[in-house]
Amino acid sequence: MDIEADLVVIGAGMAGLVAGTIAAEAGLNTVLLRKGQSATAYSSGAIDVIGYVPEASEAFASPEEGLFILSRLYPLHPYSIIGYDDRIETEKIVDTIIERARETVSWLKTHLDGTLAPLDGEFDSNIHPITILGTTKPTCLIQKTMNSGNLTDREDSVLLFVGISGYADFNPSAAAQTYLEDRMSTGSSPRKVAHCVVQVMPFGKSYNLSSIELARHLDHEGSIESIAEQLKEHIEQVGATHVAFPPILGIQNALRNKTKLEEMTGTTVFELLGFPPSIPGQRLQKSLETIFVKSGGKLLLGHEATSYQREGDVLKSIIATTPRRQIKIDAKAFLLATGKYIGGGISGDENGLKETVFGLMPVTGDYHSATDIVPSRSTSTLSISPMGQPIQSCGLSVDPEFRPVTEVGTEWVVNLFAAGAVLAGYNYSIEKSGLGVAATSGYNAAKNIVALIKEVP
Amino acid sequence: MDENEAYEYVKSTLKKEKITPYHSDELEIVKSIGSCINCGLCINHCPVVASVGLDRFSGPRSIAVELSRSPPEFWATADKIYLCTGCGTCRDVCPKNVNIPEIVNVVRANIFEHRPDLVPKGLMLLKEIVEEHKRAFEPWEDPEEKKESRDMRLERLDLPLIPDIVKKGADVLFYPGCQAEELAQEVREAAKVILDYFDVDFTLLEEFSCCSLPSHLMGDAKNARNLAKQMKKKVKDLGVKKVITTCAGCTSNLADMSERDEWGVPAYHLLEYLAEEIGFERIADALKDSGGESQVHVSVHDPCHLIRHTSRQVMDHALNILRSMPGVRVSESIAHDSCCGGGGMVSYHSTDVANAVTKENMQALQKTGAERVVTPCPLCTAQLESNLFKSGSSIEVDDLTVFIAQRLPKKE
Repeated sequence: MDIEADLVVIGAGMAGLVAGTIAAEAGLNTVLLRKGQSATAYSSGAIDVIGYVPEASEAFASPEEGLFILSRLYPLHPYSIIGYDDRIETEKIVDTIIERARETVSWLKTHLDGTLAPLDGEFDSNIHPITILGTTKPTCLIQKTMNSGNLTDREDSVLLFVGISGYADFNPSAAAQTYLEDRMSTGSSPRKVAHCVVQVMPFGKSYNLSSIELARHLDHEGSIESIAEQLKEHIEQVGATHVAFPPILGIQNALRNKTKLEEMTGTTVFELLGFPPSIPGQRLQKSLETIFVKSGGKLLLGHEATSYQREGDVLKSIIATTPRRQIKIDAKAFLLATGKYIGGGISGDENGLKETVFGLMPVTGDYHSATDIVPSRSTSTLSISPMGQPIQSCGLSVDPEFRPVTEVGTEWVVNLFAAGAVLAGYNYSIEKSGLGVAATSGYNAAKNIVALIKEVP
Repeated sequence: MDENEAYEYVKSTLKKEKITPYHSDELEIVKSIGSCINCGLCINHCPVVASVGLDRFSGPRSIAVELSRSPPEFWATADKIYLCTGCGTCRDVCPKNVNIPEIVNVVRANIFEHRPDLVPKGLMLLKEIVEEHKRAFEPWEDPEEKKESRDMRLERLDLPLIPDIVKKGADVLFYPGCQAEELAQEVREAAKVILDYFDVDFTLLEEFSCCSLPSHLMGDAKNARNLAKQMKKKVKDLGVKKVITTCAGCTSNLADMSERDEWGVPAYHLLEYLAEEIGFERIADALKDSGGESQVHVSVHDPCHLIRHTSRQVMDHALNILRSMPGVRVSESIAHDSCCGGGGMVSYHSTDVANAVTKENMQALQKTGAERVVTPCPLCTAQLESNLFKSGSSIEVDDLTVFIAQRLPKKE
């Protein structure tokens, strides 16, 4: 059952799939292992690049502004290390960082066009989409289904939050209230917000509904018309110009459903950002897998990297394990994109943290070894604080080429790279940078891998 | 009362309290449940939830966090736990490797032991058959009729008859599984044609018996362990080096037993054997003149027991072989790896649920425009065939083993 490849990517989240696709498009024979789904599949399906720096209360106006400040304050941040490379002149460091992130964003937009998760948004400005709690968050790219059009630009816009009877994950009245309070405090539009409940009955029931049942139901022909019919009265009553749905507008047909609803009601319809595991997250995961396979990569679902063989400073092969088989995969380069605590790339117990595949040394956000650090020391007693939970910043330390380094600061082997949440030095939950770091580090690691393999005869 | 006496006393009360201690090989499964983070990602991917909704089948997360934790006798779970088709999709997407498909069997085993009144009747009937005949189907009353049925199938498919061989010390034991032994005899014969063509030194069992998967899946642990024991003895007595089967379920179950019961003899699907031992070059060479003028447009169905319980690699082998067949065009269905509905013994008692799961496959197959669907599992073949036929579809279904055997040149 043994396989030979140019590149083995371990982990199929945003970082692994972006890197795998780039490598496969560059002609590398790429095998990607996925033991289970990733944090990408859990995500809201919007792609944040950078929203805040730690302790800041004001969000960045654009990823460009954020990266400019971040790269000066935090030179070891996964975004920053792209620029802090000996081969790059000092005055070009910041430009390089911004340029690479910009390239990644436009790469994602182009590649996800025509998939289940086509994207809207620009690198030059952060968008503030609304969540199902009625709050907003800064992000760079949203799925087209989440585009609320001119909601905040219009003076006279009226927003209607639509709940679904029997669907407990979204409370339209609470969301409307939270959103309205936020609008009033800033004095911005929309100034009028309303809420209503419609009935959707997958499998003929209107109780105990889950988002997947609703999304699948809305994929069926004819289901959207019944919603539009129910909505008309509510829209008329409050004069709604915009209509917000929980993120359940469909899996295959979400965008078509949005357009259809807009045509039938004469409003702008959009999805809110939801809790994990959200349907847009599922669409994003599926889309990334699709573009990887289309680019010629080989996706091995249900395979976990369990051991490896190393000779000197070169990693030779890894063993992939399934419930009943083991496969040895030889490759010229390897990418570790196993994620952090959700993905399982880093795990911890009462004694400290460890990296799960190769036993590499994880570090804390301050770049001290985290191997013997009691995890409780990296957590804050305040569950929500501007500093977040420091344990989220633990991970692997890498060189400017994205190769994990050992205690002495040199790379562990020459052909192992790392990308995504397994990296140390950033805290996605307070920075709002999760998928952006994953994509950008995956993008850059892949470029380095392609260069490495092409130069070796 | 000293410690040993106390231990013995508690042990003696277990039966009364309806507690069955876990087997040591079940402990890993039970422990994996503790890793569940209750996220619900699995619900979004479960084919049974997709087909019948959460109200009818509460989904894999509910199995992990609720149903698996309602001992002693798990009686409250019986209306849900039997609806899992055991496809393994939940474990496939789970970031924490929670072994939900196997915990289902552990729960079913507890119900079976302590509350047999709650076991679906269809499964109890099957249990009687397995107990009496050591196989999952009632054997033919008249062996001559069985032969006639076999010969008719061979004639229709234009396959030669390779005589059965039973001998000690062969390289390989070919194990057809109950479906191919009793019903889909053409699969059993086709495998022999392939093995014979490539001069594989093989034997059959002297007396066929079930691999134990159906008993395991319905929770009949006693018969499952009995059959597994018999199988080990038979394999060891024959002195073979490998076991090959054409059934996806048997592949994963035999591989499991081989490891658990320390056979020292690995078990593979025929496709794995062809890829590893015969090699694609030899296969492609053998198939190079098979096409003739005719073109056939096929789609492939991936059996769960191969892709999720064994390895996705197996279906790559299948595609490689299909691609080396002249005149065969393959179109992928978007539901190629979605459960056919035939798993987990669901069709024995809740046909409506099993068939609802199959529907997803049928709609996707229609969209491919393929005239034929091939799959390396006689059970998937049967499930897809009966549903396609009932829906009036013109798509035909072939077991992949038969499809390959038909395209091999006749041996001199």
